[in-house]
Amino acid sequence: MELIQKTAAQLHRLLRDREITAAEITDAVFAQIAACEPQVQSYLALTEASARKTAALVDQKLAGGEDLPPLAGIPIAVKDNLCTEGVTTTCASKMLYNFVPPYSATVVKKVEENLLPITGKVNLDEFAMGSSCENSHFQKTRNPHDLSRVPGGSSGGSAASVAAGEAVLALGSDTGGSIRQPASFCGIVGLKPTYGAVSRYGLVAFASSLDQVGPMARSCEDAAMLFSAITGADEMDATSCDRGHRADYRDYLARDVKGMTVGIPKEYFGEGIDEEVSSAVMQAAQVFRSLGAQVKEVSLPSSPHALSAYYIISSAEASSNLARFDGVKYGYRSEHYQNLQEMYVNTRTEGFGAEVKRRIMLGTYVLSSGYFDAYYKKGKAFQSALCAEFDACFAGCDFLLTPTVPQTAFKLGENIDDPVKMYKSDICTVPVNIAGLPALAMPCGRDKQGLPIGMQLIGPHFGEDVLLSAGHHYEQATGYQFTVPAIASK
Amino acid sequence: MEIDVRHIAKLSYLKIEDDEIETYQKQMSDIIQMVEALPDQADFDAKPRVEDAMQLREDEIRPSTPRDKLLQNAPQVEAGCVIVPKTLE
Repeated sequence: MELIQKTAAQLHRLLRDREITAAEITDAVFAQIAACEPQVQSYLALTEASARKTAALVDQKLAGGEDLPPLAGIPIAVKDNLCTEGVTTTCASKMLYNFVPPYSATVVKKVEENLLPITGKVNLDEFAMGSSCENSHFQKTRNPHDLSRVPGGSSGGSAASVAAGEAVLALGSDTGGSIRQPASFCGIVGLKPTYGAVSRYGLVAFASSLDQVGPMARSCEDAAMLFSAITGADEMDATSCDRGHRADYRDYLARDVKGMTVGIPKEYFGEGIDEEVSSAVMQAAQVFRSLGAQVKEVSLPSSPHALSAYYIISSAEASSNLARFDGVKYGYRSEHYQNLQEMYVNTRTEGFGAEVKRRIMLGTYVLSSGYFDAYYKKGKAFQSALCAEFDACFAGCDFLLTPTVPQTAFKLGENIDDPVKMYKSDICTVPVNIAGLPALAMPCGRDKQGLPIGMQLIGPHFGEDVLLSAGHHYEQATGYQFTVPAIASK
Repeated sequence: MEIDVRHIAKLSYLKIEDDEIETYQKQMSDIIQMVEALPDQADFDAKPRVEDAMQLREDEIRPSTPRDKLLQNAPQVEAGCVIVPKTLE
């Protein structure tokens, strides 16, 4: 029995039927990490001892006949911008190379309460800024489907670890596509929840009005299970809220797609989108039609400009959020200074990488005197206009179907010197963050080179139930089965 | 669009070396050119949605993270305080 090929839902059933133990699952995952990590390089830190301790506790409780949460015993990797008490949280930055948080993020606490063994902390683009994981200060994670290609980003370590069998589940964060784009490149499922559906307490802030933590998994059912475990209001995050959904999102999975209306926004299928990607997503639309859904064309005319608004709003917030890194209270401090001012400047200059500096400067520029109205105010007005367009679509549709990324995974180094080209990788995902909507990224085929293609299901606010059930029905209808790619299982 | 990278860097508390200026200049100009394509939506106000109003908790005194635990990450500490270069002669 190849345990590393199983989904969380399958492992859950095997555990409950006492056919396997949590210790065996953890063993299999750490054996896979030992085998693949030299090539894939997903992990920045391993927490093997505590993972094994949690697995042993789960086995002990199961033997005692205790009723445990559904994900108890399922190993999970955590993106390294989520605070873990006593375990380094670096944001893949030199600035936080030695930071050991004195507290855990709410999502991490929830994962621990649900008894998931945490395998370690996984790589990302520095401070979650990037689309390839190449902006990590420490290492370049590879795509398990083709080691010469990027896993996507910023949650590239999360996506690569799940795809390579180095974890069964992972937590990622998504500000402009950072869960969905790597999920698409690595052929897994990623859910960017509605803004406010998951607590951001303990997530190192990038752009606070856009950031969301979400699940990365091997199937929609797995994503539903992990989302159930982490969603809900938290008094430590004033923007989090509860909309009275069922505690277990698996309860929604059986809901029929028949009678639903799927909107196809025409702006997501034109220029700049690869032919193979468009046609795979259109084939998926046919699958939904065959399941009894109505498919119709809709329009989001402002969408193509969302990337501009995104870089104004996200960089403005980043320049403010990252002002806290000054070498005084935590993290890196320069050794070269004569006075306080020099200590601040040299710490930030030596501690931040090039992409982070670009975004801080862009944010400083758009917020600077004389430019605020021309950029930030315009960006926020655009946000309202885009929200109104999405609202109009959802008046007549249950969800929208688009590509997740215009292309499949690109090669390492391919876009690194051209930021605008790199940013365009997020053109299909950023409108969702601007409007605060939930979106599910999932595999819908392969290109000629065998690389995964992803589709994106966008729902109305707090419509995660609709997305997960539609995605689940698609998987059932197409007989989709997650597999660890051969290159990583060698 | 000419961007004064040196000035923006100064406002950002960053130092850009002379040999990096040209690259940053070009990349920043490309990005600004992209964001300038944003259409004007003057008809729309940036109003928050009423149903998503934040829930604020009661402002009450309660235990917080102990001082020594917070200071364990500080680069330089003495007598329960962080140490920085002196600012007054």
